[in-house]
Amino acid sequence: MAKVDNKKLEKIVGKDNVRDDLGTRYVYGSDSSVHEALAWSVVRPETKEQVQKIIRYANSEKIPVIARGSGSGMSGQAVPIKGGIVLDLKKMNKIIDINLEDGYCRVEAGVIDDDLNRALKPHGVFYPVAPASSRVATIGGEIANNASGVRSVKYGAVRDSVLGMEVVMANGKLVHLGSRTRVEAAGYQMDRLMVGSEGTLGIIVEAMLKFVPIPKYRCLGVSNFNSLEEAGDTIASIMSSGAQPSLLELMDNVAITAVNKTMDMGLPDVEAILMFEADGMVKEAVDFEIEKMKKICEDNKGFGIEYSYEADKRTKLFAGRKKLFPALSKYKDLYSCTSLADDMAVPYSKMTKMARKIHEIAKKNNVIMTAYGHCGSGCMHTKILMDATKGKQWYNAKNAVKEIYEYVSEMGGTTSAEHGIGLSKAPAFKLEKKDSLQFMKAIKHALDPNNILNPGKMMDAPDDWVTATKLRYNVN
Amino acid sequence: METKNLKKWEEDLNRCIRCGYCFEACPIFKDQGWEVDGARGKLILSYGLLNKDLEPSDFIVQKLFECTFCKDCVERCSANVSVPDIISAVRTDLYEAGFHNDAHDQLLEKIKESGNIFNKELSPPHFKGEKGVLLGCRLLERKEDSRKYLDILEKLGVKPKTFEETCCGMPFAVLGNKKGFSKQQDKFRASIPDINNEFICACTTCVFFIQKKYPDLKAKYIINEIVERLPKYKNKIKKLNIKVTYHDPCNVARGLGMIDEPRWLLNEIGAEPIEMSTYGKEAECCGGGGGLLVTDKKLSEQLALKRVKQALHTKADYLVTLCPTCELNLRNMAAQYDGKIQVRNVLDLVAEALN
Repeated sequence: MAKVDNKKLEKIVGKDNVRDDLGTRYVYGSDSSVHEALAWSVVRPETKEQVQKIIRYANSEKIPVIARGSGSGMSGQAVPIKGGIVLDLKKMNKIIDINLEDGYCRVEAGVIDDDLNRALKPHGVFYPVAPASSRVATIGGEIANNASGVRSVKYGAVRDSVLGMEVVMANGKLVHLGSRTRVEAAGYQMDRLMVGSEGTLGIIVEAMLKFVPIPKYRCLGVSNFNSLEEAGDTIASIMSSGAQPSLLELMDNVAITAVNKTMDMGLPDVEAILMFEADGMVKEAVDFEIEKMKKICEDNKGFGIEYSYEADKRTKLFAGRKKLFPALSKYKDLYSCTSLADDMAVPYSKMTKMARKIHEIAKKNNVIMTAYGHCGSGCMHTKILMDATKGKQWYNAKNAVKEIYEYVSEMGGTTSAEHGIGLSKAPAFKLEKKDSLQFMKAIKHALDPNNILNPGKMMDAPDDWVTATKLRYNVN
Repeated sequence: METKNLKKWEEDLNRCIRCGYCFEACPIFKDQGWEVDGARGKLILSYGLLNKDLEPSDFIVQKLFECTFCKDCVERCSANVSVPDIISAVRTDLYEAGFHNDAHDQLLEKIKESGNIFNKELSPPHFKGEKGVLLGCRLLERKEDSRKYLDILEKLGVKPKTFEETCCGMPFAVLGNKKGFSKQQDKFRASIPDINNEFICACTTCVFFIQKKYPDLKAKYIINEIVERLPKYKNKIKKLNIKVTYHDPCNVARGLGMIDEPRWLLNEIGAEPIEMSTYGKEAECCGGGGGLLVTDKKLSEQLALKRVKQALHTKADYLVTLCPTCELNLRNMAAQYDGKIQVRNVLDLVAEALN
């Protein structure tokens, strides 16, 4: 393990910010994916200058460096598959500037999404990306994975909120990408290149983000459906109608059963539930959007429709969706809830077919899968529930994942809508992007010739995700 | 290392999806900042020990004992994983594998010898009524305060009956001494005079622990008793006209799920509660639980100091709480501020209002 000279790292960040004991490395060896691997050292820089020095040292010794925010990623992006130095960026958590006049804020990479929004709130604005993990997700991690969430249907993904950033490149040089202006046509959009690059092209140390006004009115509605097709048709109709939902979420009957079974939520026993929301500064405008979506639900045989502007009632209406994740985790004794083929996106018109196919594939491969998600942005979540300690179940899961992605490809969809590629989705990603893989590799080689930045991920990840690393479960 | 206790929690460890939501509020993580300090880190270490990927080292043992059992991680968990139960189990395996801490052993020896954490002969104030009242070690040691609290019950129509107490065994369970806990459980049961009858418990930690570990016993928290009875005695209340900030003890807010009752009580006696930046189920821990005061007093006090600073920010006259351990830890840290804020037990204020 003498591959890293920790004394050199200690000189840069201080002794208290470098660790190489097995316990620490073990903890930093996994994220919220199914993968785990051991780093050689874990380092906590506090300034961009320290990051530069660490990268210069690592580059000179060809030591891998893996940037890490809160390690809440679900695809193995932060797992140190080739060992090396894990760069824990959580101490770089300053909100540098909130510039209301020019409509942007500058933050360090380790700022937590919710903390940023707490700081923005008194100014009447918010950073709207809202991934489910916003309570722990760092801005750096969100940018590196091009995160999105429940409100992306209206406000877009991270890529739509980033104006610019500062990045430490593989040679240790600090570069400023993007601009402080709303528009920029000055050459290659290098900041965009960094969005979703998963720490393979540079270490994002600072970001410049747009924010939007906090809407004065928000109304959430719920509609039940006796067939998944009718719910799917509703989604497609809403999205092609010109309506502007700020949230459009689907829960299938597996998800509904899970919530009722484990949380005693008393949701109606129907094939699908659709949640729709509109927000805005003028009530009449929100009313208009809600009425429009309600009418579309009714036209597609939606029933039991309720909606409310009141915060408490909205919380109640959304409770089933909110409790879904813990519910899935408790769905069946001995079963774990794994994030594998978990965040594909398909065109609106194909969502019903996709959901049906997911059920069919689950049955065929003897795993439990659900179809829920941010259907307003075409994203569907499909947690695979299985006994993760059984080797046979991993074999089944692998087949299920493969079949799902084949179908996603057939439907003209994409491998990942919001969680990124990392290790788990690399095989499907390589197929989806086969035309552009060589470009990506060329870019990676040009920017990181020694391949020190998060090596072995995305296009360079192993072809078999099950054996890419040791699985984090004790598989028999 | 054998992990037979941890093995029982393997399903929960598999259910944890390592999302990290638990370290959002973990007091140890917030203070130390390494992921190994947070609840997720402790679960991963536990899993490593279970799978034999890890062997116990001084560092790993230290980390697994640096938990206050504040249960905030459980509130945040996206998969309903019972983190404190897992930490208890791994501590038991560590203890049985010989990973003892001298300070822990000394504390548990005191309890074995004297039946309380102070290793003193402690008797409750003599009340020969009908309803059993358990005070708990910390209140037994504060005899005059205990008398006041028992007086409250009397004034509200209860006839308290005190008895010679012995520790409920919580420190044994929390510090991983399973055999010691089993023996102490027998002693504790034997000490309860009318074991089939409901009794009132004045200690926050004891009542939560008894309800969890002695499901057959009928322990009722003193605050529930007071809140039920007080409306009938409203005319006896002399309003205090003070401003207080209430620190929710972990075992009350997240353990018993009691948020509104203490606030209602404070309002009734004219002690207007001003909330700190975190309160209710999201209240930050004072650092006094989980044996941390014994494992690492300095760290425990750092956490208490943060809470005191939050309290100072409210500009309240008093920082009040219900748990005697919180009270002690917070009082020690508040002393640094030259009387700018005093720490008091809610029951002291109730006693004053009913005087």
